[in-house]
Amino acid sequence: MQSKENDLVLIALFAALVAVLGLIPSIQMPWGIPVTAQSLGVMLAGAVLGAKRGGLSILLFIGLVALGLPLLAGGRGGLGVFASPTAGFIFGFPVAAFVTGLIMEKLRFDPTVASGIASFIGGIIVLYVMGIFGFYMLTDKSLGTSISIMVTYIPGDLVKVVLTAIIVGALAKARPQSLLSRH
Amino acid sequence: MLALTSDIPTPLHKWSAGLKLALMSGAIVTLFWLKSPIYLALAAVLTSGLYLSFSVYFARIGLSMMRPLRFLLAFILIWHVVTGDAQTGIAIVLRLSTAVALANLVTLTTRLDDLIDVTYRMMSPLSFLGVSPKPLALAIALVVRFVPVLLTRANQMQLAFKARSTKFPTFYIILPLIMSVLDDADHVATALRAKGGLDGAYKP
Amino acid sequence: MTTINIQSITYKYGDRTALSNVSLKLTERRIAIVGRNGSGKSTLAQAICGLIKPDSGKVLVNDVDVLNDRPAALNTVGIIFQNPDHQIIFPTVAEEIGFGIRQLGASKHDAKTRTVEVLKRFNRMDWADRPVSNFSQGQRQLVCLMSVLAMAPKVIVLDEPFSGLDIPTKRALQKRFVGLEQSLIHITHDPELVRDYDRLIWIENGEIAADGTPDAVLPDFLAAMEAADAGFDL
Repeated sequence: MQSKENDLVLIALFAALVAVLGLIPSIQMPWGIPVTAQSLGVMLAGAVLGAKRGGLSILLFIGLVALGLPLLAGGRGGLGVFASPTAGFIFGFPVAAFVTGLIMEKLRFDPTVASGIASFIGGIIVLYVMGIFGFYMLTDKSLGTSISIMVTYIPGDLVKVVLTAIIVGALAKARPQSLLSRH
Repeated sequence: MLALTSDIPTPLHKWSAGLKLALMSGAIVTLFWLKSPIYLALAAVLTSGLYLSFSVYFARIGLSMMRPLRFLLAFILIWHVVTGDAQTGIAIVLRLSTAVALANLVTLTTRLDDLIDVTYRMMSPLSFLGVSPKPLALAIALVVRFVPVLLTRANQMQLAFKARSTKFPTFYIILPLIMSVLDDADHVATALRAKGGLDGAYKP
Repeated sequence: MTTINIQSITYKYGDRTALSNVSLKLTERRIAIVGRNGSGKSTLAQAICGLIKPDSGKVLVNDVDVLNDRPAALNTVGIIFQNPDHQIIFPTVAEEIGFGIRQLGASKHDAKTRTVEVLKRFNRMDWADRPVSNFSQGQRQLVCLMSVLAMAPKVIVLDEPFSGLDIPTKRALQKRFVGLEQSLIHITHDPELVRDYDRLIWIENGEIAADGTPDAVLPDFLAAMEAADAGFDL
């Protein structure tokens, strides 16, 4: 029975999961955007909970960051994060989860493959488009250079896509009732 | 879990959260409107002065919150110097660091409860659309509840993993961790229903 | 007098039947429900509290339809789960107790006053702002009891709240339950706890195997458990 209370609890749970993934030591890159496990949480929220719940879950997460809780990787938080050059990525998080969830809901084939595709499009393409756009808007820098910096993050993000696919695939077998993106 | 609010009392702690947010938004919009490095430098000096007027220690906390930005700002500056547009580079660095510092100032001087209250008030015009702040209030409490639960469970699983393996467990435990907290989520939802859930009279 | 009227309830998990057409009229103050793991007794507990929707049948507690009339159900039935970690929602004791009171419609201020009253009654004033995460299992169960009592229900369902507790903790918690004015429905697989109850219902495979006073039912129950033990393996 999927009640409103179940929805609410799951939305909060995945927001907490993203916060906890921020505690896994991140690789600091020289230009300030760390490689973190947090975007894995964003992909998972979308792929597991579906578009609406996944998007709301990550929106809740960035809302708590805005309220001043130090939940971003490296203990960052507060309103300053939303004025910094990497703000586009933070604003992009809920959108990425929403798109990942939306694609997961549409692709009705094997959940491992479907979640891989969904998290690649949502968690990499959508997130990067928003992140790069934010970077460009805030620094007036030529779009080309922005993109060249971002390329260094692709390998790490591909690992996260693979992890999302493995986790969602296993979840579909062991706990199909929890894969709300497929209900 | 602690918010980033500073315990060092400043006159700004007494100002209403709504006013501070409005002033900060106005200031940041103005910063993005200003193009001249001279005005931007003035804004940066004023902001630093504001931090320093509260105490050197407070200013140091403010500075430490800017640390993650230092390489990025240096990179932007060097890039512009190399491409022969140092003036734009300086303007961008001043604008971004001042904007971030002002936003952090609101975070440092406003209690979490007050910011949550402002959020509810900002949501209240939406109530005619059927959006109620109650789920939000519950959701915030639930996140605060789940973070320590997830950490404890992750630690237990790391121990259980280490007891039977020589590998480092980080990624191996994410799936079992998610499975176990999904069970937990079912129980919490039942407990929430037992206390009236979203139909209860509780108001934030 | 409290009357719990269970009207031919059937509940299925997928194709497994947890409760099969169970009907009971309960008016006693101390009622025990015993049975093996998976017999359906926890499902019955949740149905009595209106937490799950049966496939057929309904439960009325003092004429309140506990499933559909949730606002009225809140101060009619309360439940204490086996694992307090599944029950406690809020990080501090005062928030956990206050939430239930506010769910009944009390203002923030009234909820605070009543929370303090409950803490006083249990002589635990210093617990108000303490984080539950630092508490022992037994202390957490006490928090659950306090937050259920704060809502002043007529019936409290205990779903094996003693499992996992050491003997002194178990006895200390049990003392708290004995004195309660509320009707208790105690789900357990430990017959020692409920020997002096008014009525004992034995559930097996989702059906009522026996119903009567503990003296009448327990010997058969214990004999059946011994019989099941012989040659039983996981």
